[in-house]
Amino acid sequence: MINFADVQECGVFVSRLCAATLAFLGLLSQVCAGGPIVLRDVTKETGITFRHTDGSSGRRYIMETVTAGLAVFDYDNDGDIDIYFLNGGALKAAKLKIPPRNALYRNEGNWKFADVTEKAGAGDTGYGLGVAVGDYDNDGDSDIYLNNHGPNVLYRNNGDGTFTDVTKQAGVENGSYTGAGACFLDMDKDGDLDLYVSNYLEFSHDKHLTTTGDGFPVYVGPAFFPPVPDALYRNNGDGTFTDVSKGSGVADHPNWGMGMVCGDYDNDGDTDIYVLNDGAGNILFENDGTGKFKEAGLMAGIAYDIYGDAQGSMGVDCGDYDNDGLLDLYVTSYQGQLALLYRNLGNGMFDDMTRLTGAGAGTVSNVTWGTGFVDFDNDGDRDIFVACGHLQDNIELWDDRSTYFQHNILYMNTGDGKFVNVSEKSGDGLKVKLSSRGAGFDDLDNDGDIDVVILNSRREPTILRNDSPSKGHWIQVRLRGTKSNRDGVGARVKVVAGDLTLIDEVHSGRGYQSHYGMRLHFGLGNREKVDRIEVRWIGGGVDVFKDIAVDRLVTLTEDSSKVEPKSTEEIL
Amino acid sequence: MAKHKKRGKRKTKNSSRSQPPVSATAKRPMWVLVLAAVVCVGIAGFFWLKSLSGPEEKPQKTETHSDSMAGPGGSVLTQKEKIAALKTEEMLLTQQLLRDFPGSDATLAFVGSVYGQHGNNTEGVKLLNKALELNPNRPDVYNALGWVAFTKGAYEEGITCWKRALKIDARLPGLRSSIAFSLMALGRYTEAIEQLENNVQIFPKSVYSHFLLGQAYLQKKDYENAKKHYQTAIGLDQNYVNAYYGLFTAYSRLKQQDKAREYMAIFKKLKAEEMKALKARDKVYDDLVIMRRTVAQNQVLAARIYRAAGRSDKTEELLQKAITLVPENTICLTELAGLYSMTNRPAEALKMYNRISEIEPQNPACFLNIGVISATLKRFDDAEEAFREVIKLAPEDSSGYRELAWLYLNTKNSYDQARKLAEKAVKLEKTAANYYLLTCACDMNGDRTNALKAAEQAIRLDPGNVEYKQTYQLIKNGK
Repeated sequence: MINFADVQECGVFVSRLCAATLAFLGLLSQVCAGGPIVLRDVTKETGITFRHTDGSSGRRYIMETVTAGLAVFDYDNDGDIDIYFLNGGALKAAKLKIPPRNALYRNEGNWKFADVTEKAGAGDTGYGLGVAVGDYDNDGDSDIYLNNHGPNVLYRNNGDGTFTDVTKQAGVENGSYTGAGACFLDMDKDGDLDLYVSNYLEFSHDKHLTTTGDGFPVYVGPAFFPPVPDALYRNNGDGTFTDVSKGSGVADHPNWGMGMVCGDYDNDGDTDIYVLNDGAGNILFENDGTGKFKEAGLMAGIAYDIYGDAQGSMGVDCGDYDNDGLLDLYVTSYQGQLALLYRNLGNGMFDDMTRLTGAGAGTVSNVTWGTGFVDFDNDGDRDIFVACGHLQDNIELWDDRSTYFQHNILYMNTGDGKFVNVSEKSGDGLKVKLSSRGAGFDDLDNDGDIDVVILNSRREPTILRNDSPSKGHWIQVRLRGTKSNRDGVGARVKVVAGDLTLIDEVHSGRGYQSHYGMRLHFGLGNREKVDRIEVRWIGGGVDVFKDIAVDRLVTLTEDSSKVEPKSTEEIL
Repeated sequence: MAKHKKRGKRKTKNSSRSQPPVSATAKRPMWVLVLAAVVCVGIAGFFWLKSLSGPEEKPQKTETHSDSMAGPGGSVLTQKEKIAALKTEEMLLTQQLLRDFPGSDATLAFVGSVYGQHGNNTEGVKLLNKALELNPNRPDVYNALGWVAFTKGAYEEGITCWKRALKIDARLPGLRSSIAFSLMALGRYTEAIEQLENNVQIFPKSVYSHFLLGQAYLQKKDYENAKKHYQTAIGLDQNYVNAYYGLFTAYSRLKQQDKAREYMAIFKKLKAEEMKALKARDKVYDDLVIMRRTVAQNQVLAARIYRAAGRSDKTEELLQKAITLVPENTICLTELAGLYSMTNRPAEALKMYNRISEIEPQNPACFLNIGVISATLKRFDDAEEAFREVIKLAPEDSSGYRELAWLYLNTKNSYDQARKLAEKAVKLEKTAANYYLLTCACDMNGDRTNALKAAEQAIRLDPGNVEYKQTYQLIKNGK
């Protein structure tokens, strides 16, 4: 006989079991929303024929080792992300039949790209190193700044698929330095984009040295050349810029500049500047809100590694890897050094978390360059991609612990503050072994996950399609400034979806002397709607958007939501 | 008065500068470990590890032609050809060694390290493993293997190697700190602390271990312990730049900004000096000079292998070659002087020590050897002058006083001075040898009471020494 009380108890037990099972399944689905990351090499099917040259002739000029970055952005406003590759140029004694030039590839959809360089008039033949993209004239299209070895170039986008070289009238030629990274930022919150130009060194052929190591010819490092100051240009709002390097405090810190990124590290509403240096302490320029800067890198703990040693720093990205609302930093570096993860503590200081998180595992025998905090599996936390390749093309001859061609590295964020090197399990895209430099990340096929473009020194680029089986939801955000700069560069976006709160900022210029990510991408895991998006524009205004459907790109326009939240339909 | 045994030929002392000089960069963690490894592995290990730095940051000054290397037909070789010739010569030497000493773990370990220092770690590791097959009790080889693994990022493998080395020789310096450094690279700070705490028990003056402890405690957010160990490191080496960075970080985390800024200022100052030193080093970088030094050092190491096998002729040949490559290499000159002394060629040994004294005029050990050999050659004035130089250079060391006293006693010259010098030696170092010297000096001055007292002290300190006991009996018996 069944005891009623037992049945009752049993029922309670069953319902508890069900609840626990459901909770477990829910948790499982959340974990599974991430799943493995799969990046497929689709370079051959893209039709991209670009091949990088460093213009070398065996004389081993230092700039050959550090070229170049790339940009991924929508140059023609057609909703597809296009690709702009920088190229080296013919250096003294180099014999090249056709002068190398940069290349612009238009995204035709379906993973086909067309070389539109000539038509667009963007094929600069200068020796390319770094690039930043920004709408400096706020006319609704993206302009390109090239940081070269030799005179730099500013291409104004004419809005019709063509560009005009306006360097001279804009006044941003920047002498004849060997350049590095560059960033557009609105340093003084006046609604237009200013320009920071990182300088590597001042090269001249009479200062060039040939050298050997263990009898083999090797490239020298930058320390032989005197350090040079970077440049900061204030946008005058009329298509011209004024060099404010001295008055702003930037010129007080000459060094061997490399990659850089701009972001509001201290959440005070203005954009700060983090510049890497090759073999010397990195610099954090803290903005006082008016475009005056003081060096804060040492106090913040991001000038050196955990031991107080300078790194041969190369590229940098910022992003909130632990979803605590603060921008963290990832910095790549030379062989024998780990690429470094700095966690923002929120009090003006950072902790070097590389070893505790595993975010540098496998980098010590590599030279690491381009990098990005990217949520590849849409699980709601940012993974890390690292482009690798030695700069000594004969390294195997005198140090077989490393190789010139190297596999790139992918770290998956486990969601509990740790990273796992998943490079060997992440598809054939990570099996490519070349000498990579710049890398860019964006959704090239508009399918809701982030793909990768890599520039490889002396070789063809690598295009990686994200084929992760993730079923995680996502949202992409494009900003339209009305009072602040047109693309919302510097604006802070906060996305709240259930228990998940994510932040990001719009950056112009990042990684290794590259540009990517004007459309912000947020992986959401199994959250099926976004409760709220808050945009803090660089001028100080805040817009809030509520109840937004997922799995789509939304454009959020400044001042379009004044006080009360609008409906999804109204916003979109 | 007892007739004291006239002291015969004695072993000459090694140069106090027998270790490679530590560069300014040695303060960097990696290099401190390298230095620690140098102690363990020896010079071969040092060169194995020197390749860590890579040559890319070392611009080379214009080609130098200070040597007389010539190509076929007397043609002048280019720098590249000179380097290639040196490497070929070195490789031929390693092949010769392998032929001459088949089945020798020491030879395999040495040749393995030569491969490693030229970046051929794959072949180097193979040879080191072969050496271990022949003799698994080689902590130095495990140590070298540990470093190769570490520099490739294979931290677990490195830890395994170092633990094996530790099992063979638990007191070998640097092993625990190497294990700890690897554990820290893996983020395993608690285990690292355990290793390091053990290490500072054994080596309380290990600056690097204290620094690493500071780092490990800092990561564990135990700022008080971090501060304590950084301070200890600075107490042991006041220019330890990384420890100041650690203190700055610890005080920052404790929100004691004034203190943080204070240490930051010191760090910045020392860092600037470090950068300056690095630049100066870079400016004089010359690959050929480095290659000559490397080959010379390896020739010295190879010479040691031949010397251990009783092959004096080959030993001398290699040492002479090394000196030709680097005439100012005092390690090599010392080795050759040692060989001459050992093979009863004091005049030639003296020549070598005189050359060393010209290169290192502040080296008291060298003058001590000059004195001892001069005395052997009965050049007493030269010996006296050399011993006086030792006293001048190292007034707090008893060696100079002791040797000069013996010289006076043995040449029956100024017993009174000899006694004063012996008393000074005892005052500085209360060793059995010094008391024995005093015994003899007192006895020669007719002071039997104090001679016996001193002899008793010598016997107390070295009860197994038969000579002391015999002398005591002779004095006591009034013979």
